[in-house]
Amino acid sequence: MKVLTVCGLGQGTSLILKMNVEQALGGRGIQADVEHTDVSAASSMQADYIITSNELAESLTEHDATVILVNNYFDMDEINQAIDAHMDS
Amino acid sequence: MDVVMWLANNVFGQPAILIGSIVLIGLLVQKKTASQTISGTFKAIIGFLIITAGSDIISSALTVFEPLWAEVFNLESESFSGYMGQEAFTGEYGSAVALAMTIGFIINVLIARFTRFKYIYLTGHMMFWTTTIFAGVVVQTVADVSFWELVLFLAVIMGVYWTLQPAIVQPFMRKITGNDNIALGHTSASVSLLSAWAGKFLGNKDNDSEKIKVPSGLEFLRDSNVITALTMGLLFMTGAIVVSFRDTAGAQELVASAGDQNFVVYALIQSFTFTAGIAVVLTGVRMFIGEMVPAFKGIATKIVPGAKPALDAPIVFPYAPNAVILGFLGAFIGGLVWLVVLGNAVGYVFVPTMIVLFFHGATAGVFGNATGGARGAVIGGFITATVVAWGQYIMVRMLLPDTIPDTAMWAADSDMFILGPIVKFLSQLLFG
Repeated sequence: MKVLTVCGLGQGTSLILKMNVEQALGGRGIQADVEHTDVSAASSMQADYIITSNELAESLTEHDATVILVNNYFDMDEINQAIDAHMDS
Repeated sequence: MDVVMWLANNVFGQPAILIGSIVLIGLLVQKKTASQTISGTFKAIIGFLIITAGSDIISSALTVFEPLWAEVFNLESESFSGYMGQEAFTGEYGSAVALAMTIGFIINVLIARFTRFKYIYLTGHMMFWTTTIFAGVVVQTVADVSFWELVLFLAVIMGVYWTLQPAIVQPFMRKITGNDNIALGHTSASVSLLSAWAGKFLGNKDNDSEKIKVPSGLEFLRDSNVITALTMGLLFMTGAIVVSFRDTAGAQELVASAGDQNFVVYALIQSFTFTAGIAVVLTGVRMFIGEMVPAFKGIATKIVPGAKPALDAPIVFPYAPNAVILGFLGAFIGGLVWLVVLGNAVGYVFVPTMIVLFFHGATAGVFGNATGGARGAVIGGFITATVVAWGQYIMVRMLLPDTIPDTAMWAADSDMFILGPIVKFLSQLLFG
């Protein structure tokens, strides 16, 4: 399973989200390859899930992946809830 | 001695190998699986090598941008030549930068462990650029600085800066986020502080930016590639159109450099090339920082109980999304104003980097809004552009003209401009 975490520049914030998502997935025993990237690159990358904020999600509606919204990239509760709502462990 | 020499030439002298080794150690310490360790180490090495390739693309586009606007302002443009450049600089000093980053991070962790400043700096790409720019300043100031002098000097400066910068900004971060869990670890901290202070005096706190409705059509501004291409395109085109109507020898020479291509089309392609170069460099930085930061964080959280992560600027964006747009608008207007003013007043062609104007102007906007509402946000953006424009001029012309002015033109940022003269002074004092 391939997961992308996305922010505008694809450098720091999406990396934090990636680490938090990896932690959340690990806690559920879900095996996934999580990569962080910027929004332009994400639209041309293959993925099963894309995790990003509400604003950036609007540029990714054409993507085949399931887009999961997380607004506070640092809120583990929000990330856990978002994953539970969209992924089966 | 042979072993030492071998290591010096093949590990410490090869930044990509050194970065790979640091990541490898970090991953082994954390007991990652073999597959994670191999892919992490390889990606760090490849990422570092990609940066060099991208730097070349950026500087080729800058060598068109600079004379183009120099011609618009009728400047005697001789400045953009005879410097070392990011590519050569990384080859020679990249290992010192990588080691200084690593040791600087260890110093940060130790200060956090033993003092009340519990901040761990995790904005990896800014760690890399700040260390690189300061290395450029030191090498410019004292050409014959030894490898370990350079490494240790930078490591101490970085370690102290990475701990204290989040601590200084934290009172305003508490105001913005409403809690004390995360800190800002970013080189735009100084303009964020200035914005928060200016907002207090010049803004109007009652007019909070979040009461305004911003058209959703502006969401594309959050994409760094789009916004860089858009603004550089606008500037390249404006410059090209002005130059096309000139009869001077310089203008004719520029138009001739496009060959059979229409000059305006040529300029447009250059603006996209510049953006492509930045995208390449950022891909490289992402690849190696993406491996390095998790390794760093894993180690830091084990050593420092109660550590607060200092994170990249966009973490404040969700707290005031409208202030983000207003901050950018203030920075954008400021960027254009200072382009014209600097060109005419001191004969310097300012390269208004969109990553700085958007992401850093936006951050200053959020801080300005926290104390001064919508007006504070716009003023915060304008302050960002002001510090960046004058700072870039001072950095490129005075602090590192012969080492990496090309890097300073697009990757340097407000804190580096403010600390740059101190780094220069200290390196003169210690190694001069």
